[in-house]
Amino acid sequence: MPKLTLAEKLEILADGAKYDVSCASSGSSRRNKGGIGNGAQCGICHSWTADGRCVSLLKILLTNACIYDCAYCVNRRSNDTRRVILTPAEVAELTIGFYRRNAIEGLFLSTGVVKDPDHTMELLIEATRILREEHRFNGYIHVKVVPGADLLLVERLGRLADRVSVNMELPSRESLKLLAPDKSREAIVAPMKRVGELIVQTKEERKVSRKIPPFAPAGQSTQLIIGASGESDLQIVSLAAGLYGRLAMKRVYYSAFIPVNIDSRLPSVIGTPPLVREHRLYQADWLMRYYGFAAGELLDEERPNLDLTLDPKAGWALRNLHIFPLEVNRAPLELLLRVPGIGVRSAQRIAGARRGGHLSLDDLARLGVVMKRARYFVTARGRFAADLAPDAAGLRARLTERTTPRPRWNQPSLFDAAAAIDIQSTITGEL
Amino acid sequence: MILRYDGTFAGFLTSVSLARERGLEPEAIADREPEQQGLFATVETVATSRDRADELYRLIRHTLTPGAMQTFRYAFQSCEPGREILLFRYLQLGLATGAQFGAMLAHEAVIPVWKLARAVGREAHRYKGLVRFQHLEGDIWYAAMEPDHCILPLIAPHFAARFADQRWIIHDRRRGEAVAFDPRHQKWAATPLELTATLPCTAGEEFFRELWQRYFDRLAIAERRNPKLQRQNLPLKHRRHLPEFEQ
Ligand code: SF4
Repeated sequence: MPKLTLAEKLEILADGAKYDVSCASSGSSRRNKGGIGNGAQCGICHSWTADGRCVSLLKILLTNACIYDCAYCVNRRSNDTRRVILTPAEVAELTIGFYRRNAIEGLFLSTGVVKDPDHTMELLIEATRILREEHRFNGYIHVKVVPGADLLLVERLGRLADRVSVNMELPSRESLKLLAPDKSREAIVAPMKRVGELIVQTKEERKVSRKIPPFAPAGQSTQLIIGASGESDLQIVSLAAGLYGRLAMKRVYYSAFIPVNIDSRLPSVIGTPPLVREHRLYQADWLMRYYGFAAGELLDEERPNLDLTLDPKAGWALRNLHIFPLEVNRAPLELLLRVPGIGVRSAQRIAGARRGGHLSLDDLARLGVVMKRARYFVTARGRFAADLAPDAAGLRARLTERTTPRPRWNQPSLFDAAAAIDIQSTITGEL
Repeated sequence: MILRYDGTFAGFLTSVSLARERGLEPEAIADREPEQQGLFATVETVATSRDRADELYRLIRHTLTPGAMQTFRYAFQSCEPGREILLFRYLQLGLATGAQFGAMLAHEAVIPVWKLARAVGREAHRYKGLVRFQHLEGDIWYAAMEPDHCILPLIAPHFAARFADQRWIIHDRRRGEAVAFDPRHQKWAATPLELTATLPCTAGEEFFRELWQRYFDRLAIAERRNPKLQRQNLPLKHRRHLPEFEQ
């Protein structure tokens, strides 16, 4: 077999890493101390790929070789693909080369499992160490924790990286057993818990002494695959709520299942991944993190799945019409946040602007409120902007995004439809 | 009355200071001969005075909140013709109302300035990602760009902090302006710049350029292909200086 060039290796390892959707680089404000690079508090995109996603980090695998055989994974042992591995020094060199050109915010390093989890973790740690110590790199580094690795290694990694993540991938124990038989739930949850503890503990210690090195200052995240197994949205959203609450998780990412393997254990969808469902889950997640919604307000046993045609905030408003319309000059911020068409920023702007005088309906539009949606739910100086009272039956139809059809498998037009969903909110999930 | 100034921030502040002193609102403040009003209005050319500018600047800093101050600064850097008079009214209102000004977000003198500032802020943030350096012979890192607004002074501090050990130049080719950073003194400075020859890249530059292009092409997930979304996020005009979109 001819020896591969670095470019060829990079292609193969980028291929293996691209299905991981977490790409954010925000939330770390690591400063540049006499070397190169720093963290940006709000994320920076450096390019956008043909699928419309932001390129922020150099996203690669250390190796695509793996001793495990997870059903949904391109890199699984039983796939007949070419296996390559980078040395930790090569990973560092690539990262620095792209970083100096300002092509990336930093590194997102994942890997298959070579030999055993501990050995693999040591390679990841070494790559990170070379970057931090030899290249004096202060940019963003996100590294995957290998499930089942020694918890002391997890700690060493977290002292060097900005963010660490353990991918849960499957929302339940049963699905995990079926689709990722080599990885136990415990092997995934134990490092997550340890990371959560260390984040909290280190924050406390650093209040006393700044000499203590930070531990994963940008927090930990995880990823769930959507649609490879049978869990309902209620199960998924409740799981996410638990992760945010109990494990101090920073972000949960949702990844519409893309079949890359033929496997009898996997659902036999061909073609389009469930992108609309993924989008609705991001919206629900966003509502929980920034809008003060509880999981139980969005879904319950009777309606265990998110409405694909209606965003979850509008859905909640329609079920709670008795609290509307709200008078924008008086309503507390928590309630303003619950109005469809009012986002976090516009709610804050309303709260600020009304201190300077009573707001009119015209003012609302100027403050960034999407009146097309909000007009059914608010009054300003007692005036109501819509031609329809908010309890009218036609309201639901008006709030339905007509541009969002129900997904039909194998319809290429879905991609255009998915693009027509408010672009901004596709990235941020903001409503 | 039309005030003509040299286009600099200090020159603009000088003009505002003069107008305030005389207690009048000019019809326009501009850095070139206005096309329409020129017929009846008198045009006065303002000589930039650092002292005047500094004095007014201190007063603004003292009166306006940091947020309102930043809005003012960013909106000026939009370099949109006609922004000066909007900024003048914004400032008059701000200086007159003092502490209440922060809450007057819906005021007609605030909204247009805020919109300009937002557009500039967005573009400046965007270019933190889109500025792309090439490694030139002589160990200089050079980046070309063509932004809509005059964002060079707004983004320079970001790159100075991030690439503190590189000698770099960011070149606004639309305006023939550049900022250059000197790592020995940890300082950046603005300078006019026109290119007269092609740039001599290092061998490493060619190597990483190809590496990046091949990496980038692999990133998109075929099943999620969505060129429309890509175009919305990254309009063609922003692709001109990105190696991954080179033909
Ligand atoms: S352990 Fe990771 S790389 Fe290996 S098969 Fe499972 S998902 Fe793929």
